[in-house]
Amino acid sequence: MAPVNEERMRATEQLRRDLAVLTATVEHPNGLCTVTASPAGEIRALHLHPALLRQGAQAVGQVVTETVRLATNAAVQTSFNKTALALGDGMAIDVESIAGDSPFRSTWNPVVPPKPPAEQAPPERRPRSPRVADTDDDAFFDNPSWLR
Amino acid sequence: MDDDVERAARKVREVEQAVAERVTRTGPITGRASSPDGAVTVVATPGGPPQQVVVSPAALRMGPQGLAAEIMRIADRARRTANTRLHQALDRVVDPRELAATGIERGPDEDDFGWHR
Repeated sequence: MAPVNEERMRATEQLRRDLAVLTATVEHPNGLCTVTASPAGEIRALHLHPALLRQGAQAVGQVVTETVRLATNAAVQTSFNKTALALGDGMAIDVESIAGDSPFRSTWNPVVPPKPPAEQAPPERRPRSPRVADTDDDAFFDNPSWLR
Repeated sequence: MDDDVERAARKVREVEQAVAERVTRTGPITGRASSPDGAVTVVATPGGPPQQVVVSPAALRMGPQGLAAEIMRIADRARRTANTRLHQALDRVVDPRELAATGIERGPDEDDFGWHR
């Protein structure tokens, strides 16, 4: 067998082993839930912050669902990245052409960050006050082109 | 190599078409599992993350660690049920060994009431 093929088969076998145990750990944007998940959506570890439970049962369910989805997407993306590293970008693109876009490429499931509470909201932008006409006729400072 | 990829892509499209027709008839394939006391309910999809995790107000008394463990336990059961249902739905469309090779294992069959046969 040609050495290139042997090398590719070894890389494929190693990749298969790596992907079988691959997981990704993600913290929800609100910092109250952390999930480790496999690319197939299996939850391998789940940590709930006590403050999340204080937000109520519905919030717990929603945040866990979102975090598992984010962790699964991260694991799928990592498996795409590992495929590209082991077998080349061309092979990763071929896999995408068969299996669909990687999570990084597709934007179908972003978690919309919650609106910040009023006290954290950024201050409203005030309209800029109109420029006062410069009475100084100094041509050097009047023409900002020298900054370019 | 391009021919192989094109052949594989064609096969995937054919299977997708057959699966889509099947799912149109049967409805979405999901697996649902609940704690005996209804504390946690999970609706799972085959080969993907849970679609929905529902926690009852009473479940909050389990505390963060107890509740996390219960969610993991129920999510695992729901995932196995979803995978088994996918096998059942596609047994005439896809070779079960190919489904198993993608990580979707078939568990023991359940009847409509959730009892193992």
